[in-house]
Amino acid sequence: MAAQPQESAGAARAGESLLKVEDVQLSFGGVHALRNVSFEIRRRQIFSIIGPNGAGKSSMLNCINGFYQPSAGTITYKGEPRKQMRPYQAASQGIARTFQNIALFTGMSTLDNIMTGRHLKAQSTLVENALWIGRARREEMAHRHFCEEIIDFLEIQQHRKTPVGTLPYGLQKRVELGRALAAEPELLLLDEPMAGMNLEEKQDMARFILDVNDQYGMTIALIEHDMAVVMDLSDRIVVLDHGEKIGEGTPDEVSSDPRVIEAYLGTQQEEEA
Amino acid sequence: MIYRESGQFKTTYAADQAMLPILQDKIFVLAVIALAVALPFLVSNYVIQALLLPFLIYSLAAIGLNILVGYCGQISLGTGGFMAVGAFAAWNILTRMPEMPILVGFVLGALCASGAGVLFGLPALRIKGFYLAVTTLAAQFFLVWLLQRPFFVDYSATGVISAQEIQLLGWTVDSGIDKYLFALAVVVIMALVAKNLVRSSTGRKWMAIRDMDVAAEIIGIRPMMTKLKAFAVSSFFVGLAGILWAYLYLGQLEANAFDIYTSFDVLFMVIIGGLGSILGSFLGAAFVVLVPIFLNIVPGWLGLPLDTAMVSYIEVFTFGALIIFFLIVEPHGLARLWTIAKQKLRLWPFPY
Repeated sequence: MAAQPQESAGAARAGESLLKVEDVQLSFGGVHALRNVSFEIRRRQIFSIIGPNGAGKSSMLNCINGFYQPSAGTITYKGEPRKQMRPYQAASQGIARTFQNIALFTGMSTLDNIMTGRHLKAQSTLVENALWIGRARREEMAHRHFCEEIIDFLEIQQHRKTPVGTLPYGLQKRVELGRALAAEPELLLLDEPMAGMNLEEKQDMARFILDVNDQYGMTIALIEHDMAVVMDLSDRIVVLDHGEKIGEGTPDEVSSDPRVIEAYLGTQQEEEA
Repeated sequence: MIYRESGQFKTTYAADQAMLPILQDKIFVLAVIALAVALPFLVSNYVIQALLLPFLIYSLAAIGLNILVGYCGQISLGTGGFMAVGAFAAWNILTRMPEMPILVGFVLGALCASGAGVLFGLPALRIKGFYLAVTTLAAQFFLVWLLQRPFFVDYSATGVISAQEIQLLGWTVDSGIDKYLFALAVVVIMALVAKNLVRSSTGRKWMAIRDMDVAAEIIGIRPMMTKLKAFAVSSFFVGLAGILWAYLYLGQLEANAFDIYTSFDVLFMVIIGGLGSILGSFLGAAFVVLVPIFLNIVPGWLGLPLDTAMVSYIEVFTFGALIIFFLIVEPHGLARLWTIAKQKLRLWPFPY
């Protein structure tokens, strides 16, 4: 029921193609992590990748941001098919991500973590930084201003100067989102942003994801196990199982697809529905 | 009660990002610098030459190594080698081009050390931790061996190569006080430079690589460039320390003065002082340079009739025990103790 207005909104908002995955394969030795997976993410969409454990969801994200190289198939980003690349190149093209297991810089404060996320926008050179002159100083203040807006947005003002290692789990997840946002990405990859959270934290995180999409117009690709969240948030969903795509469509289409129900949602979901 | 930051409001980001945001810290640091300038006029020439000068120069080397180990997380045992490269490069440049201003020669010498650092930092792109330590150890032995070849310095005549006299705008640096003030100026300026670097985007990239290199790469930090920059900057500082060691402390050039023990000493300073802290570099240098000398003279004060061999044994034992004690009490070094003390002072005399 909730999906009905969202679907129309999603269809209206979705713009041109941002990322196109065609027949991507990924194998480690004899293990096929991904087999002929194809889908398309359009601008301003909230796109979810779901599937049971080991379905290849994280591998898919890792291919998108250059951490793994697909063994076959093409990934077209912003209209350009891409070849071999390193993660930092993906980042400089506007792809940011968060991790399933938090990967923050634990020795640094919240503010410094988010400021680090913004480093791609920094132009100042080593010498300027060393002497703290001109551009180095101006940039630092401009970035601080931008990062403070993210801190306000994520409601973590009082943890600004706290070393992130000492923050509770839910807040660390938020800081990690903040670090990804600081880069002003065009495509934001979220790997299980709500794993291990309680209901309240999940609601907060869902609100942040919707706001990011709405206010900043960022395209979001999401992996999540909580079906209620996925069905509520997503404009479009792709379902993977054993490395293969077994379904794609709007939340309604996916949740009524018999193959998906069989492989993933199970009979229980039907009963609930 | 004195160390209170309440009532000091920041209205701009610039004020909040300042190096010393709290007024009391500013006063304290200015007082320390004033004392450092006044100190040589209050103590004997022996104290200046044997204590203060090595302390300052080692502090500079420790800051350099701290940038690499403490901020970027890349371990190095080649400090002595890079110090030697700095000193010999500066000497060669100043000897072959006598009309060059001495400070320019020093900077060029330190840049040569930077180059050597980058070269021996290349393995860091592939290997980490202990293995990197071993490859940098190769730098230590290779560089010191290389600098004893006649191409760099021909020892044949007397076996001693004296360093050129430092002359600066008509100021000849020759007395103990002059040397001390020159070293102090260099160290204060370089400490400021280091502080600026580590609080800027450059420093944050280093720390990101240190804390989690995979995540750093995914947010767009290029691991290669960042690590090599850390090696270059670190070796610049270390090379400059080597130049000061040769020109101010020894007054002569000798590759063997920069042996593996120098590398170890500087690494101990960084660990004892506090990884990832500029202040810690000073505290560590003070500990390693000053405590053994202090331990050496204590038996004399107490009037204990001990022969010199015994005194030096006691010195080594006590020093070792102190290192173990401090690292057990505070594994994050003296700088962390200092931070904790400041935290306590903010509330003192109230419990919370």
